[in-house]
Amino acid sequence: MSKPLKITHLYQFHKQTAKMIEFAGFQMPIWYKGIIPEHLAVRTRVGVFDITHMGRALITGAKSEAFLNHVTTNDVSLLAPLSAQYSTICNEEGGIKDDFVVSRLEQEKFLMVYNAANREKDYQWLVQNAEDFDVKVEDASDNIAMFAVQGPNAQQTLQKIASTDLSKIERFKCGWTKLAGAIGFVSRTGYTGEDGFEVFVWNTPLSKSENAVKVWNAILEAGKEFRIEPCGLGARDTLRLEAGMCLYGNDIDETTTPLEAGLGFVVKLKKESFIGKDALTKQKAEGIKKKRVGLRMLEKGPNPRPKQEVWKDNAQKIGYVTSGTFSPLLECGIAMAYVSIEHATEGGIVMVKVRDKTLKAEIVKFPLYDPTRYGYMRQK
Amino acid sequence: MRVLDYEIPESLYYSKEHEWVRLEGKEAVVGITDYAQKQLHEIVYVEVQQEGSEVKQFQTMGTVESVKSVSDIFSPVTGKITNVNTELADSPELLNQDPYEKGWLAKINLSDFKNDMKNLLSAQQYADYIKTMET
Repeated sequence: MSKPLKITHLYQFHKQTAKMIEFAGFQMPIWYKGIIPEHLAVRTRVGVFDITHMGRALITGAKSEAFLNHVTTNDVSLLAPLSAQYSTICNEEGGIKDDFVVSRLEQEKFLMVYNAANREKDYQWLVQNAEDFDVKVEDASDNIAMFAVQGPNAQQTLQKIASTDLSKIERFKCGWTKLAGAIGFVSRTGYTGEDGFEVFVWNTPLSKSENAVKVWNAILEAGKEFRIEPCGLGARDTLRLEAGMCLYGNDIDETTTPLEAGLGFVVKLKKESFIGKDALTKQKAEGIKKKRVGLRMLEKGPNPRPKQEVWKDNAQKIGYVTSGTFSPLLECGIAMAYVSIEHATEGGIVMVKVRDKTLKAEIVKFPLYDPTRYGYMRQK
Repeated sequence: MRVLDYEIPESLYYSKEHEWVRLEGKEAVVGITDYAQKQLHEIVYVEVQQEGSEVKQFQTMGTVESVKSVSDIFSPVTGKITNVNTELADSPELLNQDPYEKGWLAKINLSDFKNDMKNLLSAQQYADYIKTMET
């Protein structure tokens, strides 16, 4: 028998206002008003997402830094307390078991936030690999509610309900603050390409959901002047795709390595040792054969979708689409694809086989939008 | 009539795949229902087979894409496509805004509507069917 679906603290809110879907064993909102208006709210103003379904683990102990440097590919020794980094966990072959963000709460205490679909797999992997280290691995997923406040007006929105000065928290930094009176932890991170925060409401199991609901409502109230929108998983997906961020299970999995995925910046081969190092060192020396690229459709028509083939000049299959959608901002089809390395050149023209049609696309760099006008690098 | 949140005009025939049929002499105008467009939401692309194509009842006659999903459109009748709504190429959102009028998909020259009709629903039957889907 399949397990009953899990819900978050905001289930009643979602059920009354959103179209719901099942995602990673949870009942989650896919959209409230619609993917397009929610997407555009985040790109131009502010939106708030319930991302409580994500997995969270606390790693504590004298050897927590050494342990994380063993199981992850990035270098956590670079992290000062109250800093965060993006990273991956790989298997011995260098295949990606998951991607995640880790925050250093204290010298010997870390918080990992990983994909909802990998909650159990990651926790098991962490526990199993922690045996030789003096650390405690604790699944904190069910004890913390998590929201993302994203968009150019995110800081102004969240500041109204925060007890500390959020302008002091730079990108990929974090800090403790009271949010609408509740204990909160915020990190200046996200999955949209925009400036914004991920908000953790501490000590809030489902059985005691008052604080989570209070913070959510306070965010919506604070964002009213910016016409904040609650946003569902639909906009979360289109936003991250425009920004060029990977979705585990689509764009990365255990058959792809961080080097192929264009995530070489989170692989620190100078580290003494870590799981997957030998395979990744070898792959780096030999060179990758395929690479993740961005695609922008050049013709009006159907939108690219996962598993569709990518061809060069109608003569040679060079790869496949892993994520594809209609871009609400660019108003055209966009995609991520893996193509053979000799064709993975920005500006190159390729063909995407969409059902019975063959459509022209250009290989473009991420983010797919103009970073001087949108996203956290925008010129104010 | 209006059932739950959905408009279901009385004068049309319906398929269980959520297409509608409006008879105009020997031709049928076909489209997708209010229920279908509300389920799909935010339609961003629609394509229908070319004029002159022969279509069979309940076989694929086109594709409709929302931001997130791709769905087949099944012809509710058998015949030859005589006309397709070319405005949908630039304005696929017409399917959301006006599914029974400006959002029509195609006109089909009917070959045997008496037979097609046996497999279609009246507005009342379709309304009852929608109710079973929503509960």
